[in-house]
Amino acid sequence: MSSVDVDPGADRTRGDADETPRRRYELEDLGFDEVPKKYRKFYRRWNGPGDTIAPNEALCPVCKVIIRSPRELRAGDRLYCMACMTRVRIVAGENGGLETETLY
Amino acid sequence: MTNFLDAYSIQYWLESCPQGYLMDTDYGHPADEKEPALVIEDPVLRDAAIRTTVQLVVGERCALASSSGLVGCAPDAPSQCFLATQTLDEARHVEVFTQRLYDLGVKKKELEDVIARYANPNLVKFAEILLEKVDKKDFVAGVVGQNVVLEGMAFSVFEMMETVNRDPNPKFAHTLTGTIADERRHVGFGENRIGSLIRQYPERKSEIEQMQKDMSYFMLATFADNFRSNEMQQEVEHARDELDAGARGDATWQGVNLAQAEPAEIEAVLSDTILKDFQARLGRIGLAYQTPAKPRVAA
Amino acid sequence: MSGSGIDDVHALEPEDFIEEVHSFEHWFEAVEGYLKGLDHGHLPDVAEALLTAEERDRLIATFCSYAVAETAALEASSGLIAIAPNRHAKIFLSTQTVDEGRHVEVMLHRLRELGVPDPEAEVERRAGPSVRNLRKKILQLVEAHEWDAAIFAQNVALETMEYTVFRAHARTADPITRDLLERVLRDERRHIGFGENELGRRIREDKKRRLWLGTVKSELDSLVLQTFEEAMEEIGVPRWDRPSLGRDYLETVNRLGLV
Ligand SMILES: [Fe+2]
Ligand SMILES: [Fe+2]
Ligand SMILES: [Fe+2]
Ligand SMILES: [Fe+2]
Ligand SMILES: [Zn+2]
Repeated sequence: MSSVDVDPGADRTRGDADETPRRRYELEDLGFDEVPKKYRKFYRRWNGPGDTIAPNEALCPVCKVIIRSPRELRAGDRLYCMACMTRVRIVAGENGGLETETLY
Repeated sequence: MTNFLDAYSIQYWLESCPQGYLMDTDYGHPADEKEPALVIEDPVLRDAAIRTTVQLVVGERCALASSSGLVGCAPDAPSQCFLATQTLDEARHVEVFTQRLYDLGVKKKELEDVIARYANPNLVKFAEILLEKVDKKDFVAGVVGQNVVLEGMAFSVFEMMETVNRDPNPKFAHTLTGTIADERRHVGFGENRIGSLIRQYPERKSEIEQMQKDMSYFMLATFADNFRSNEMQQEVEHARDELDAGARGDATWQGVNLAQAEPAEIEAVLSDTILKDFQARLGRIGLAYQTPAKPRVAA
Repeated sequence: MSGSGIDDVHALEPEDFIEEVHSFEHWFEAVEGYLKGLDHGHLPDVAEALLTAEERDRLIATFCSYAVAETAALEASSGLIAIAPNRHAKIFLSTQTVDEGRHVEVMLHRLRELGVPDPEAEVERRAGPSVRNLRKKILQLVEAHEWDAAIFAQNVALETMEYTVFRAHARTADPITRDLLERVLRDERRHIGFGENELGRRIREDKKRRLWLGTVKSELDSLVLQTFEEAMEEIGVPRWDRPSLGRDYLETVNRLGLV
């Protein structure tokens, strides 16, 4: 997984005021076999608490799968977990990091 | 007892459908196939296609409700598992025929209204007789009503429609081929599983035979409404004007060329085929076929 | 909805996402990844481990209880189709019905592999009392047409418990059992997600549901806990090493606001 370019524009799911361009990520299939092939690159298995979660990734709070986005995540973004059908919103955590919240 | 049911296991089902004939399909047909332009653009043909498809959705919704309802009252695990696969097959049928309504231009918001407007009331009555048995958790009657009567009807109707559509509308014909393959299993289960249960509960026979008679009546009434209506006459004439003989192809089913036959002739061959089929199947499982009353001609 | 060049799945409209994940098409492409080429729920070339008579017997008892839980889920998910509030939920539940049917089937078959000649009779004889009671309770809710309560009982309480138990069991199980359970777990992930999201949406629409579900939850709690302890006992997980059912279950219940 490598960052290839930056995302220039304003976009639909962005909720924060940060105007700086985002890093983009080229996603590849990491063998998560629980969703249709065409969606596999957007997910990977979580290897437990020691697993480093990249800036374009978030842990699904419901089923503990890692959801991946083609761009760096920011507060206000919406993500979908296709493994358990959950809609997730990225929120700013208390310690300055990003956290997830279910949207139902 | 359960050996023959091995062919109805989920394992078998997985190998034959998702990994078999449904592989690489999109809502039941190859992804690159579309409804023919003529059907989409001609208001009469489009309307006819919507009306027909609504009846399929109604029938499949009934099958979904009954097969799921029967899982909980099946007497053994293999029968429960088979009915679980049937439940999913039926849900798939609801989905692919609903998708066809969307393909024909029905808006998602209008779906339920369109179904309510076009659903044939006699078909609804047919379904209600079956669902009443399912509600009472009557497994034996439910399986006869579902897997012999409802499925027997669906099987022949689909086969006939597949024949008619093979040349002019391969997309719809392919959708039907997949459902026919599923219905084959369902019909087979009805015969195989229920035979032994009828022997076990001979006292249930007359009531089940009455159900078959009632359901058959409403089936014939549905056909009568459909084939004898003025709209149908006009649609058939219109379709034949629009499609030249070459595009209609050779649509021979049960010895009748459907591309040329009059609606009354098609109704007769369809009813006849289904009723004969009921008679043969019921005979094999030890039930006496009851001839239904003839419905009056629809207004 | 086909085509492999999807740039960003997260750009879907919410309605399209919901339609997609509840469809037969989605289910069908999802299970293909992990159910292809199996022999009754596990990879065909895994060798049977050598088990002592006692280990084998305990495993048999465990699978008997699992089979009851899975049958409960099979009967409940199929029964719920009739009262599902919309077509998406009906179609999703039909996929769950066949998943649960698969679980019943592979578990009964596992009993056969373990040398049980009549698995259904064995289940009747040996399944634990708490799991039977839980099954009864769930089916009562389905029969009463209590959609919210039944979804909570099945897709949240029962499934979260199974999820925790199967994961714990898979860690120490023989290779065939482990492979089988890990594939069952992949199905259960969808069921748990459906339950939580469905209830989350419905609570959002009608706040009174939250209170009602809170009552259902407290009625179910002890039964769920007993079933969980019974299962841990059967698997033979020592008390001090038991995963807390509390964690997964409480997290879900907290997210739904049912405290
Ligand atoms: Fe069907
Ligand atoms: Fe069927
Ligand atoms: Fe299950
Ligand atoms: Fe489940
Ligand atoms: Zn998830």
